[in-house]
Amino acid sequence: MLFAGIDVGSTTSKCILLRDGEIVGSALVDMGIGTAGPEEAYSQTLTAAGAGPEDIACCAATGYGRATWKGADLTISELTAHGLGNHFLFPDARTVIDIGGQDAKVIQLDADGRMANFVMNDKCAAGTGRFLEVMANVLRIPIGDLEVLAAQAEHTAPISSTCTVFAESEVISQLASGTPVADVVAGICASVASRVAALAKRSGVKEQVCMSGGVAQNGGVRRALEQALGVSIAYSPQAQMAGALGAALHACQRFHRR
Amino acid sequence: MTAQELLRRFHTAAADPKGQMKQYLEAGEKVVLTAPVYTPEEIIHSMGLVPMGAWGADVPLEGSKEYFPSFICSVMQSILELGMKGGYEGASAIVIPSLCDSLKCLGQNWKYAVPSIPFIPMTYPQNRWGTVGTSFTRAGYERVIADLEKATGAEFDPAKLTQSIKVYNAHNAAMRKVDEALAHHPEITAAQRSDLFKSAFFMKKEEHTALVEELLAALEGQEPAAGKLKVMTTGILCDSPALLDIFDDLGLHIAADDVAAQSRQYRVDCAEDGDPLDALAEKFAAMGNCSVLYDPDKKRPRTIVEQAKARGAQGVVVVLTKFCDPEEFDVPFIKRACQAAGLPVALVEIDRQMVNFEQARTLLETFRDVLE
Repeated sequence: MLFAGIDVGSTTSKCILLRDGEIVGSALVDMGIGTAGPEEAYSQTLTAAGAGPEDIACCAATGYGRATWKGADLTISELTAHGLGNHFLFPDARTVIDIGGQDAKVIQLDADGRMANFVMNDKCAAGTGRFLEVMANVLRIPIGDLEVLAAQAEHTAPISSTCTVFAESEVISQLASGTPVADVVAGICASVASRVAALAKRSGVKEQVCMSGGVAQNGGVRRALEQALGVSIAYSPQAQMAGALGAALHACQRFHRR
Repeated sequence: MTAQELLRRFHTAAADPKGQMKQYLEAGEKVVLTAPVYTPEEIIHSMGLVPMGAWGADVPLEGSKEYFPSFICSVMQSILELGMKGGYEGASAIVIPSLCDSLKCLGQNWKYAVPSIPFIPMTYPQNRWGTVGTSFTRAGYERVIADLEKATGAEFDPAKLTQSIKVYNAHNAAMRKVDEALAHHPEITAAQRSDLFKSAFFMKKEEHTALVEELLAALEGQEPAAGKLKVMTTGILCDSPALLDIFDDLGLHIAADDVAAQSRQYRVDCAEDGDPLDALAEKFAAMGNCSVLYDPDKKRPRTIVEQAKARGAQGVVVVLTKFCDPEEFDVPFIKRACQAAGLPVALVEIDRQMVNFEQARTLLETFRDVLE
């Protein structure tokens, strides 16, 4: 029996298929809500698992576009989904920091993986994946290179964490005054970490801490967050898929509860 | 009328305050606007004038930006905006109390931005207790009376004020009763509950009391629907249709509230004997559990916990009006008290210009998951 979870995000669509608690297919498409991305992620996942739509016992959607994707039997909020997904990946996780394309959330889990508390960021791009995208664009480098450059930094250039627009002009000023690009990139990562660390401290940080969402792939931000919070942060290569994974787990739980 | 017919009547008044005001004006009555949070409506009523709540509306803020900075309470800004755009045309005056810094600015700006509607300040004391406090409050009421007489030509009579106090006490009692009754009727939607409270600002209190009592009778004969997940709301306002729809979509039943524009208005009655102005000042002194009423003991968080528990609410939703500093100061205390009592808390930020409620939906949906 197959269970599908699809995470329709603001910038990407992710899908996962589960059979007997094992991931048997997954796909990530760089197109989010309002595009063909969700459909493409779903069909790629089915193809990867050698399955057809008729094989899916239950499908749950999560993410910003969860209500608009018509292929799901159920919907689940992205916070609940990331909580479930991360509990599956890290059974000892008590704090999940999820930084997505346009928002950041911190989720507290109890020992059974149930969500005990959560906080979300304000409606602001600072401290989100969008902030990194804007800065990568200013520096004219691929977003994937931010991690590599941050590791080469000798100093961390001060970049404001208050506002993306102000930070953008600060980055330009730093470059104009001759600050090495690597130091500026380290400052950008520290800026995201500072904003998200404040959010995490608001809800309380309990170990084990893990990171979820697309920005988790950026080692520069992960390391800056570890410094800001004074804890080590667990990371799975599946971090970006954790929402879809949680949705698939939810579909499975709900199906069996019926 | 059936319960649904009565709820439709409340909706009509709540959704069209301008139409409601037009009816009173066409009937030859004079309307006086009352700004948040507490105004001495009883005085206005006793002078034969119709008090009408002015709590702003969900409108784009354009002209008001000339007078206010961007990061200030949108309730105040939208009141000024409506005043500047003629939304309150026909009103004889507006009474604006001094209960927060933004309200003080509203009063001062109103004089210049809306010169056609006279501004009447109601200056309350921070320390409202004892002879000093009540004398100060009474002096504020006397200033309001003098200004109302000047603006409307109406005359003040203490005997009539005693009668109005009785009308308002009866309305308070009816509102407290219906609030309790609605906790047992999850089939009444969050939007309908809001309409019931909101319409009270736009109708004469005797008319509203009669309709509320009719609703109470209709509800007595109505079988309550299956229970939903009970929550309590707290904040200044909770009247946005889009936000209320989310509560209903998610099966969240507002079983109690600590909202300034709702239950907070009806908690304290006024003594019906003795000098009525002194009695009104004593009533103000007895009020509390509100972010804009100074309380060195901070009893409000405890009261919220007790009320939530008494009504069987499983969690508390703080509906925080953006840039409302009195409410923001109370949030940490509310959170701490609720958490200590095992009541989960969710914080939803709103303002009068909000058009996208997707983040609020995600937050409330997740909160429901936590409660379940």
